[in-house]
Amino acid sequence: MCIKINKVLFFSIVFALLLNACVNPTIQEDVVETSDPVFVSTYKPADSRPIIITNATLLTGTGDQLEHTSILISEGRIKKISSQLENIDNALYINGSGKWITPGIIDVHSHLGVYPSPSHAANQDGNEISNPNTAEVWAEHSVWTQDPQFTLALTGGVTTIQILPGSANLFGGRGVTLKNLPARTVQGMKFPGAPYSLKMACGENPARVYGSRNQAPGSRMANVAGYRKNWIKAAEYKKKLDEYQEKLADDENIDKPQRDLQLETLVEVLKGNILVHNHCYRGEEMAVMIDIAKEFNYKIMAFHHAVEAYKIADILAENEICAAMWPEWWGFKHEAFDMVEEHVAMVDAAGACAIIHTDSAIGIQHLNQEAAKVMASGNKAGYDITRAHAIKWITSNAAKALGIEKHTGSLEVGKMADIVLWDGDPFSIYTRADKVFIDGVQVYDQHDNSLQPVTDFDLGILDPEGERL
Amino acid sequence: MNLSANDILIQDARIYTSADAGIIDNGDIYIKDGIITEIGSGLEMPLNTTVINGNGMQITPGLITAHSQLGLVEISAVSDTVDVRTKDKLYSASYNISTAFNPSSSAIPHNRIHGLTRAIIAPSFGHHVFAGQGAAIGLNDSESSPVLNNSVAVYARFDSSASEYAGGSRAAAYTKIRQSLLDTREFIENESKVLSGDWRELSLPVHDLQALIPVITGDKPLVITSHRASDIRTLLKLKEEFGLSMVIAGASEAWMVATELSAANVSVIMDPLANLPSNFDRLGARLDSAARLQLAGVKLLFANYVSATPHNPYLVRIAAGNAVAYGMSAIEAIKSMTIYPAETFGFADKFGSIEIGKLADLILWDGDPLELLTSAEHVIINGEILPMVSRSTRLRDRYRDLQDEQPFIYRK
Repeated sequence: MCIKINKVLFFSIVFALLLNACVNPTIQEDVVETSDPVFVSTYKPADSRPIIITNATLLTGTGDQLEHTSILISEGRIKKISSQLENIDNALYINGSGKWITPGIIDVHSHLGVYPSPSHAANQDGNEISNPNTAEVWAEHSVWTQDPQFTLALTGGVTTIQILPGSANLFGGRGVTLKNLPARTVQGMKFPGAPYSLKMACGENPARVYGSRNQAPGSRMANVAGYRKNWIKAAEYKKKLDEYQEKLADDENIDKPQRDLQLETLVEVLKGNILVHNHCYRGEEMAVMIDIAKEFNYKIMAFHHAVEAYKIADILAENEICAAMWPEWWGFKHEAFDMVEEHVAMVDAAGACAIIHTDSAIGIQHLNQEAAKVMASGNKAGYDITRAHAIKWITSNAAKALGIEKHTGSLEVGKMADIVLWDGDPFSIYTRADKVFIDGVQVYDQHDNSLQPVTDFDLGILDPEGERL
Repeated sequence: MNLSANDILIQDARIYTSADAGIIDNGDIYIKDGIITEIGSGLEMPLNTTVINGNGMQITPGLITAHSQLGLVEISAVSDTVDVRTKDKLYSASYNISTAFNPSSSAIPHNRIHGLTRAIIAPSFGHHVFAGQGAAIGLNDSESSPVLNNSVAVYARFDSSASEYAGGSRAAAYTKIRQSLLDTREFIENESKVLSGDWRELSLPVHDLQALIPVITGDKPLVITSHRASDIRTLLKLKEEFGLSMVIAGASEAWMVATELSAANVSVIMDPLANLPSNFDRLGARLDSAARLQLAGVKLLFANYVSATPHNPYLVRIAAGNAVAYGMSAIEAIKSMTIYPAETFGFADKFGSIEIGKLADLILWDGDPLELLTSAEHVIINGEILPMVSRSTRLRDRYRDLQDEQPFIYRK
């Protein structure tokens, strides 16, 4: 409902290389060559001794539920998953009896830090409502790392968050994927190597915002013209850059094309380095966006707020596009009027990649509950959804949409040890996250005050000698 | 659309009565002419009775939201369909939203099939510290007249937003509220002179002063939106000065004033999920607020404030479940969305609990009524078993099979 915008990344990937020096996981991918890497991730997990959680119920995020299973995490990675683990010297043992383990929860659509709490006119930094194309802005440059909403989300087991610009513009800007542990700098939160995203928006928001100023776009058809005009420019710019590279390779003397921040973002999309996350409610608009992506040869990773995804679930499946949905929001706009509560189940049943997103600083604290509500309505309507399957909507499917599925989002040996130990069945309302681990480091404990992170804002705000909560 | 012309016998269910009987296991309920006439076990089954086997089911009274905009908004961004507030400065306390209520709103069946049977609907704020008057409605069939009482409370605010409409300071907002009450008192004592124009100009027009008369006499609750602990303390003084029946709504920091609220017999309308420090009035917001307030003996009424849309007030059930997850008792949490709002807004003799003589507003749940994986199996209002159909379920059924040969447009 809110108009929010995404930002795109530049060169995703480079952070990973710089992190190679650390013990911890890095992502190796091709370096984008448009320009030198900037705002590079400095995230580095703390050192941690090996941890073994024994005899828990695991929802792996790959479709399995494993009973009486133990998990070893060490050097930031999941090392073993087994019903029987041998003893390891110096390991910390945690009794998981009666408890459940899931992958760290991922929200693909959030505005934490860019629309923080407390909210006021001076920190509404999520939407650059000055031009229908603001592909040059990056959400990370608005992030207030000390937003108390980050630590609230952590208490709900959220370990990875995509922060997006809002949806006022056709091209809102770059989104960024963060590890959910507030640091002094936003670079210190950036998920090493995660690709950047480009937030695009369909429908009412851009048409309303600019139409009310008597400028284009003032209609859905002008939205489409706006996307296409800009992709044409981006394709031309890409051609120039490609020619420059070729001539450079041939040792020809040639001036480098003038840099253009807006077009650099779009070019990286065309090169496949930046992933498109497209705010789009209506079925027919999603189908049009799919054709635009084909026309200009880029890929849409996910439609967000895809209230009508259920009407075109087969088309989404065929084009391998994820649909990110709220459990039951509807009615705030006409394009959100046709919500059905089984939509996630219906998209999933059609073989498309279904995701539950929150777009909410409240919802992000309870993503396990959001999944449970959707599972309940789906099963009530005759779909046969297990916990082992439903957990994918908030873990592995979300990781896939963010391009980080090789690294997080499931309990598999070799993946980042981003995991949540729940004090019971995560699909029960009475269950809370007991302990949360990011890259093998325990970052939250429900029962240990020393492991309950407190943002700068929360410190001494209500009681000079205490914390806000 | 009465599917149950017969009497109804529900057998062998777990019953959360929201009354002195507490929870009854393996209980039966008999409904005759829309009224609960018997509660017990092994009840006799007369002829022509619709029998529902409640085995494995759990029953609560129909859910009531203490604060909503149900039937006042069809689509939030389509202003033609939105009637929640007036920005006309001529009307404040007298603005009554009940005449805007649309019993045919698609949001009503949508919420009904999830167990919401009654709602308090309240105006939003326009340009004044007073928003106007709220009403009580039923979510039963639109052909009957579902407005139960067209004026159950007057709504005001005393918070950071009030300062915007009171010269930039909440202190001025307080003065406005207090002066309005003083002027109402003056109006009562000098009514004929005021009406004949033989009196000084009062701070509100006559129609607004008249609307405040039942408030100043303590007969109608004044529901005040307020969050900061110090503001709530200030309001408690106002209550004492005028002898008001006061309810605090929003109430993020009410837990910090819990003892005083309890001693003053002031109820609180809150959303247990509203834990963001979303402005500087709400820094104390936390998920165990409800538990802390309950422990101090404050009567809580639940509403859905955090959902980004006014279309899902039934989610009060999920909010109540979270209150329990953070320490509140389940029985009290259910009362906070059944009998407590009925008491506060004057309907406890009719509904809000499962007791002999009450209207049969019952929800049969397929599990723990506060759980996420639980759904309503049957919804009964006034003794009628209502169809579990909404516009949303119709769309679901239309698009369920995308491969079906029949064109979508003919699927009904």
